[in-house]
Amino acid sequence: MSASSTDGLLSAVSNDLAAAVDTVGRSVVAIHARRRIPASGIVWQPGVVVAAHHTIQRDDDITVGLHDGTSVAATLAGRDPSTDLAVLRLAEGASAPPVAPATEPPRVGQLVLALGRPGGSVTASLGIVSALGGEWRTWQGGTIDRFVRLDLAVYDGFSGGPLVAAAGRVIGVNTSGLARATAVTVPASTVTRVVGQLLARGYVARGWLGIATQPVRLPPALQRSLGSEAETGLVVVNVEPDSPADRGAVQIGDILLALDGRPVSDPGDVLAALGGERIGQTIGLRVARGGRAESLSVTVGERPRARG
Amino acid sequence: MPGVDALLGAVPALERAVGEVAARLGRVTVHVRADGRSAGAGVVWLRDGLIVTNAHVAAGPGADVELPDGRELPARVIARDPRRDLAVLAIATSDLESALRADARGLRPGELLVALGHPFGVSYAAALGVVHRAPSAMRGPAGWLHADIRLAPGNSGGPLADSSGRVVGINAMIVSGLGVAVPTHVVERFVREALSDRGRGGGARAA
Repeated sequence: MSASSTDGLLSAVSNDLAAAVDTVGRSVVAIHARRRIPASGIVWQPGVVVAAHHTIQRDDDITVGLHDGTSVAATLAGRDPSTDLAVLRLAEGASAPPVAPATEPPRVGQLVLALGRPGGSVTASLGIVSALGGEWRTWQGGTIDRFVRLDLAVYDGFSGGPLVAAAGRVIGVNTSGLARATAVTVPASTVTRVVGQLLARGYVARGWLGIATQPVRLPPALQRSLGSEAETGLVVVNVEPDSPADRGAVQIGDILLALDGRPVSDPGDVLAALGGERIGQTIGLRVARGGRAESLSVTVGERPRARG
Repeated sequence: MPGVDALLGAVPALERAVGEVAARLGRVTVHVRADGRSAGAGVVWLRDGLIVTNAHVAAGPGADVELPDGRELPARVIARDPRRDLAVLAIATSDLESALRADARGLRPGELLVALGHPFGVSYAAALGVVHRAPSAMRGPAGWLHADIRLAPGNSGGPLADSSGRVVGINAMIVSGLGVAVPTHVVERFVREALSDRGRGGGARAA
């Protein structure tokens, strides 16, 4: 029997997994910012920790437990509910190494570990990447660069912890705050983008028109008179006073057909066209009003912060 | 496709390795029956008929043990501790193969684990997982070995082993989806106490 050779293989795999946990685990911290058990966080840059927004239940009196057992004070640099990310700055002198983000995209079937530190010691679960998809939008309007579905068990306090490739690179940040009954991984590229904005501004700016819309079917007669083949438009059901849309003469009852030349058929299409980079730019709106197509132009504003 | 060639070598080898660990555990894992029905699993701790299982598996003064070779023998419960969820059974036989053991306090999170037991009555079923949290200084089950592994009723009393097939714990409960096992050092101490009590005739206490 070749017991010794295969026995060695299993131990080698086991050692690799434990080494990945040990390496990345030094950057995984405990976040004390809520009652009950602490949540997890990751040292993303020197002195900067990423956590899950929904686990930061107070803005002050936040402490962070490091891998060496020490506890340090942290201040909230900002939060972005739309991607469920928050950024903390550690008190000066805290020594914890930052993680190395993965450079290769994840693959379906890849062995991955979810790490957490809901207390003093690091915890691990093993699973695989079960499905991948393209960019998607959270229910609060945040843009996540890549959809990552896991076959992996997650436990209390793992939110804010990393998804780790067996080679020790961080694929992203896990959270239970973006989908019901399942864990979601926010990819490293999205985390880095949001961290940059939160450190610079304290929040993630989003474009804003100031309209509320809902989909409406365009009757064939209207399609003909508009010279349009689109079957659905977005009827404007509210225009906020003094909003960019109000200043651009958008009216309740207008049917929005296209933004910037791109057809829209879902309110999400409007959100998608309003990234922070559009603030201050003028965009063209094609609307149906009184059975005729009209072109309007609106200067995109910044979404008021109280709106989340 | 070089990727596929690599898989063809590594995956079957890994599967064989897990199978060998499961087979090794199978030679030291027993069925424990109480009142004629399967109550859980047990581990051959000493070759002269000493079996370790959970206290909640061996709830009465006696039990029946079915060995891997199919022999079924009456067992006497010589010690039982619900707090540590451990029981020691004695059966009248010798020359059993006993479990290799390792101290769970040396485990690191992420290390592979293999469990063997009879989940939902399926005899000698194996499960693969990893160390979620190694045993800590916390008292009681909170300080035991926590495993990210799929267990079910029937795994109770059975072995949880490292990647070399050495028993690091006795599966005892499922808490929030995690497998929780009594670490080997706690079992060793309990068995020592049980044997010294028996030397003084203390076994009658459990009976």
